[in-house]
Amino acid sequence: MKKMKVKALIAALMAGVMTVGMMGMTGCGGGSSDSESGSSDDKTITIWATGSDNVRQIYETLVEDFNENSDYAGEYTAELQFMLSGTGTQSLSDMLAAAYKANQTNTDYDLVDLSGDDLSKIVSQIGEEALVKLDDSKIPNADRVSAESTVATDYVQPYRGTTVVLAYDSETVTNPPTTMDELTEWIKANPGRFAYNAPGTGGAGDSFARTAVYNFMPEEAITSDDPSWEEQWDEGFDYLKDIHDSMYSSGGSIVYPNKNQGTLDLLNQGEIDMCPNWADMVLSQRAEGTLKDSIKITQIDPAFTGSLQSLAIPTFGSNEDGAYAFIDYMLTDAAQEIMVRQMAAIPLVDTSNIDMTGYEDIQNLDVNNFRIMSIGDLSTDFNQRWDSEIGAGN
Amino acid sequence: MSKNLKQKLVAYGMVLPAFLVVMLTVAYPIVSAVIQSFQDGSTGEFTLANYTYFFTDAAQRSNLLYTLYIVIVTVVIAIVAAYLLALYLRFVKSKISRAIGMLYLLPRFVPAMCAVYAMITIIRDTGLINRIGQLFGVNINLGMMYHASGIITMNLWFNIPFAAMMIAAGLGGIPDSIIEAASDVGAGKLRIFRTMILPLSVKDVVVAATFVFMSNVSSFTTPYLMGGNAPKMLGIALFDQFNRYLDYNRSAALSVIMFLICSVSAGVYIYTNLKENDWEK
Repeated sequence: MKKMKVKALIAALMAGVMTVGMMGMTGCGGGSSDSESGSSDDKTITIWATGSDNVRQIYETLVEDFNENSDYAGEYTAELQFMLSGTGTQSLSDMLAAAYKANQTNTDYDLVDLSGDDLSKIVSQIGEEALVKLDDSKIPNADRVSAESTVATDYVQPYRGTTVVLAYDSETVTNPPTTMDELTEWIKANPGRFAYNAPGTGGAGDSFARTAVYNFMPEEAITSDDPSWEEQWDEGFDYLKDIHDSMYSSGGSIVYPNKNQGTLDLLNQGEIDMCPNWADMVLSQRAEGTLKDSIKITQIDPAFTGSLQSLAIPTFGSNEDGAYAFIDYMLTDAAQEIMVRQMAAIPLVDTSNIDMTGYEDIQNLDVNNFRIMSIGDLSTDFNQRWDSEIGAGN
Repeated sequence: MSKNLKQKLVAYGMVLPAFLVVMLTVAYPIVSAVIQSFQDGSTGEFTLANYTYFFTDAAQRSNLLYTLYIVIVTVVIAIVAAYLLALYLRFVKSKISRAIGMLYLLPRFVPAMCAVYAMITIIRDTGLINRIGQLFGVNINLGMMYHASGIITMNLWFNIPFAAMMIAAGLGGIPDSIIEAASDVGAGKLRIFRTMILPLSVKDVVVAATFVFMSNVSSFTTPYLMGGNAPKMLGIALFDQFNRYLDYNRSAALSVIMFLICSVSAGVYIYTNLKENDWEK
């Protein structure tokens, strides 16, 4: 009796495995049946991406669209490997560096999605030679994009932009500042009506505090992780101390809220009139109706930091042609429109054929003026100093 | 193999998985954290610097005092309120008390995150209270957000029902008969409370207090969302050391300090329990 049951169970399991296997085969086959299923064939492109959950959602949509609707549908099949950021696992850039240093070849790192920070890390860890020098003739749509990465320019293809902007309530601020000096003037003239989130708790506060400090320093400092630059932080920190008393306050003391959402909530509730925040966060929340319609964005000069999100083909991947095809797809109007509408990404192609309704503000953000920042490990020291001199300076 | 030995082996075998899990997931991390807390971050040599930092650095010292202040105020108010609530539920029999008896546990079933955001929506300077005030032409700015008073209010919301539940269970164990007997021989209400109810329930009060104390020393969600930038509660200070400054040795030292603070209240708890056994002899 017992044996019978075990046998039946095994049989059921086997049947299950076989059915799934067959489905997988037919799913991957898509017409031509001579290729083997699995990740090592020349039809499958494995794409690696990392970020918050909204990045996962956008990539799932894009991969599905690529496999079903794009010009390459049927020719290639994209598969997504996504790693949620901040979960304490090994980061994508570390994994790539490890694979490269271990002399691995023919891996399934066919195509990787890299932020400006990740790219600088990879270049400093293993050098740009770890990436395939891109042949633009294999990416017909590359002509449509003028934006270029400042790091490893010939080795990566930017496909969307993201930047920190000044978010303000247009009902109370009719004439938003256009320069950092005007912003400073406004902050001092309207004490308690401006806030930035504590650095280290969200990229918007990081960007505000760091650009405020680096505005007093030579241009090249902002992309250097040389500790000697720390000596020149004093002037910037004095500036942050100077505006400290005019920041948002509650319960009798100055407050720098935690997280980007912290300042955005204050802005939405009308407790402040202005704060730095991510363009995509503000615009997608406004489109969803969780932010008031009167909240608008603007960029000031010198700008807050932004970055270009790029795709790169590691030399140790196994499907270079497929990777080129996916890069080309990402620069089509269809893919760019998906990114605009689902995550308020800043498109890098001409937007005349893209439906920008509700996202018109994005068009005014010029990716060519983006200020890229990569100070590496100095950011840890920066946060510590900010905490002890500004955060604790009540 | 004797039957006795066999039985023993079976018994140990059954305990072993649980024992191993506890050793691996609780004992080992504690030991390694204690070791790490005495090591220098870069050289690995023995040092006390990780500890002295938390007691000499002005900001860290104020974090410690701030945490103790919030926790002690929370414990005192929560226990007094919970005790009064439990007495009411135990000795007043009415429709209202029965309704409260059913409703007071409700906060335990609201997810912490939702509760914190709900409280923020009510007490923030543009929150519900402010908006109601504006209907009558007054601008009420409570100033409780990013302030100790807001954190304490939130802690009370979580802890009063919890403490009341523990104390009510203890009060429920006092038989009506002894109270009636005392009252029959002429004891007044105050005297019954002072000489009978209070001594019989004091153990539950102390146990409830230790639990409230321990759970608040290491609280994170409430102070993270409602607290200011400085001073910070220790849970946030630990997060800073670990996640923002990546200083694992100082993180370990702060963990040990928090553990020691909690162990004071754990000691009180164990002492109270032992005393009961004494009394029961």
